[in-house]
Amino acid sequence: MAAVIEVQGLAKRYGSKRGINDVSFSVDEGEVFGFLGPNGAGKTTTIRILMALIGADSGTARIAGLDCWHQSVAIKKIVGYVPGEPALDPNLTGGQILEFFARLRGGVDQKYLKDLIERFDLDISRKFRQYSTGNKRKVVLIQAFMHRPRLLILDEPTSGLDPLNQHEFDRMVKEVSDEGRTVFLSSHILSEVEKTCTRVGIIRAGSIVRIGGVAEVAAIKRYEMTVTFGSPVPADAFKSLDGVISVEASDEGHTLRLEMQGPADAVVKAAARYPVISLTSHEPSLEDIFLRYYESDVAAKEAEHVVA
Amino acid sequence: MWWLRSVFLKTLRDYRVAILGWGIGMGLVVVSPMASVDTLLSTPQAREQLVSLAAQFSWNADVVAVDTIGGYATFKIGIFIFLIAIWPLLAGSRMLRSEEERGSIDVLLSVPRPRARIALEKLAAMWTALLVMGVLIGLLAYVGGQKFGADFSLVDGLIFGLNLALVCAIFGGLALLISQFTREAGPAAGWTGALLLVFIVLDMVRRVIPNDAWISRLSPIYYYNLSKPLIPSYGVNFGAMLFLLALALFLGAAAVWLFVRRDVGGTVPLPRWLQLPERTPNRALPVGDWSLRSVYARGLGMIAMPAMWWTLLIAGWAIWVVVVVQQLGSKLDSLLASSPSAANLIKTLGGGSASLSTGLLSAMLFFLPLFLMAFAVTQVNSWSSDEQDGRLELLLAAPQPRLSVILCRFAALATATIVISLITLLATAVAAAAAGISLDTGDLAAATLGMVPLGLLVAAIGYMGAGWLRSAADTGLLSFLLVAWFFISFIGPELKLPDATLKLSAFYYYGTPLLHGLQAASVVGVIAVAALALGIGALRFARKDIAV
Repeated sequence: MAAVIEVQGLAKRYGSKRGINDVSFSVDEGEVFGFLGPNGAGKTTTIRILMALIGADSGTARIAGLDCWHQSVAIKKIVGYVPGEPALDPNLTGGQILEFFARLRGGVDQKYLKDLIERFDLDISRKFRQYSTGNKRKVVLIQAFMHRPRLLILDEPTSGLDPLNQHEFDRMVKEVSDEGRTVFLSSHILSEVEKTCTRVGIIRAGSIVRIGGVAEVAAIKRYEMTVTFGSPVPADAFKSLDGVISVEASDEGHTLRLEMQGPADAVVKAAARYPVISLTSHEPSLEDIFLRYYESDVAAKEAEHVVA
Repeated sequence: MWWLRSVFLKTLRDYRVAILGWGIGMGLVVVSPMASVDTLLSTPQAREQLVSLAAQFSWNADVVAVDTIGGYATFKIGIFIFLIAIWPLLAGSRMLRSEEERGSIDVLLSVPRPRARIALEKLAAMWTALLVMGVLIGLLAYVGGQKFGADFSLVDGLIFGLNLALVCAIFGGLALLISQFTREAGPAAGWTGALLLVFIVLDMVRRVIPNDAWISRLSPIYYYNLSKPLIPSYGVNFGAMLFLLALALFLGAAAVWLFVRRDVGGTVPLPRWLQLPERTPNRALPVGDWSLRSVYARGLGMIAMPAMWWTLLIAGWAIWVVVVVQQLGSKLDSLLASSPSAANLIKTLGGGSASLSTGLLSAMLFFLPLFLMAFAVTQVNSWSSDEQDGRLELLLAAPQPRLSVILCRFAALATATIVISLITLLATAVAAAAAGISLDTGDLAAATLGMVPLGLLVAAIGYMGAGWLRSAADTGLLSFLLVAWFFISFIGPELKLPDATLKLSAFYYYGTPLLHGLQAASVVGVIAVAALALGIGALRFARKDIAV
């Protein structure tokens, strides 16, 4: 498969503030690529460079072999874009906005456009300023999909959508993918990316941390369990159990905090041998995962240094 | 930060620019007529002529002691003083409703304070702002009065400001009350503005038809006019001022009472017969809408409504000027004949015309390009705000070259300025013909169409500035430039400023087209500078980071 998006050594700074630094990745034709990162990581900066809304300080960004800055008009003919914060003329109705962009783009299939409006159940007679956050997002999503672009660049596209419409969005992405078109989707929601994407890039603090298949996301999806017992328990009894990465005891052995990956069956059965007061489990935030990445990255580099 | 300690202080801080702008601006409006009194009353004959002339304009304002500085200022500012009511009208309509539109009031109302208290703190901030404006106006009126030898005291000046603040508080309260019935701030401001005009006209009725004076009592402006603190011999009607205060309190209290009882984001339910019919969702796309066909057409669509209002102002001013000059007739000639210094001023501004009425007409048409340039400033603000607030992001994500986007928007603005000028030309020609004033069609066309290059110059400089500056800075600098140009050209000749300084003003190149036509070299020069500024602005826009 040929690469539709090729980004090499991209950097951008906002004065003294960090933007992105040495970002490189590529997205193949037909892929649904997830671009994951916490708020302020550099997702939107990267996307706005791809859309020629801002220029890179260094590095190259190409879409379909065309330079994103110098050949932006040609690129925009094949791209559908959803910005992170949709802002449009507040005095236009949803219908007027869609009609305006349809005319600017040309070649929009009116039947398909009406179909999209139906699918999102959007009242296009209301002014943009009167829409709820979710409905504003629907207008912007429809204008991105309506001309059946070869590449969709979507910056946190489901933000503000209710589960029903999120499901509709997932179906639309699937249809696009089935037709061999490409989707570049940024998000800070791990499960969303896991559900819709085939490959994932993770960005943190302006740098790409990892790029890989979506299966690898599952590998980083660790979680924590906290078990409180009626009497002190030996932490060592849990350390070697299946799925346990690490154990931390507190409250004089009454409480165990377990870092987990995989099934919790062994831990639950082991805990049942003691008087359990409470058991809670939660997924770590993406930020926690990224921090973990950094910690391991730094540790690995230090180890390499020692070996060398 | 002390100003974040309460809703009252935060709101008052939000008003700080308006307080200074409107307070000092309106204060100067009050002072400006005082400067010409000495000239107009240089001889007993001139004094008599002035009183007689003022009587002809009694529909505009009460003619009381117009041969004194305070009396002349009170008469001269007439209905124009109610320009200050525009601020409370906008502030009142937006106070709660704009926050509801933005959704920011939801967060504000989530703090553990009663809804009424939050609304009252905001209302109190507006009243305080009006009071400070009133003090500024009163102080400036007093300082101006002292400078030109008026006989009113500091207390009189401050009471004048207080009276003005009270009538403004009524319109602020009215706008706030009406906004409880509208879903957006705009219609509330519009309705209040319409009521302001109605009240001004109602107050005029008693001056035009004395027997029907009772109807004027329905207008708050009638009670405002019962006090004339700048005329010590006329004095102050404290009963009328108390009535204005009571009305302002009542309107504010009613608005807050309704706000506390209605849904946030909703409106006070109207009786069924007053309700608009239920809107049925329309899924048909507006395929035939001309304003959606291109960036240029969209630009025209966006500018159409403001352009209509500015056309009314500019063409209305031109018609009014023609009618006034016709009304003044021979009285003006005899007044100016007995007051050589006033005649000299009009002669300078009017381009040295031998005929004083034509000279006056030319001098007053001098304001036309100023209005058109002010319109251009508002449109520059619209452009730079669109970019700053991210509204250009999706437009630039469509396959449109950036150069095309900026040039299409500028072309829409240029089209609007040309249309405004053409309508002004037509309206002025018709008014002159109806008033029996003989004007050279070519020179009239030069005076009206000659505004266009100046409007485009301001717009181009603003577009260029938007490439580097944020919206507020760009608009502020452009407004300052406009004011500076105006004062260089308006008072520069009187101050005997050197020719090189006068040439710094764009108005210099407008000249006095009603008398002398347009100077081709000046027009070409202005257009060349505008083209250069636009070129730089367009190139900058094509290369800059958007909304950073």
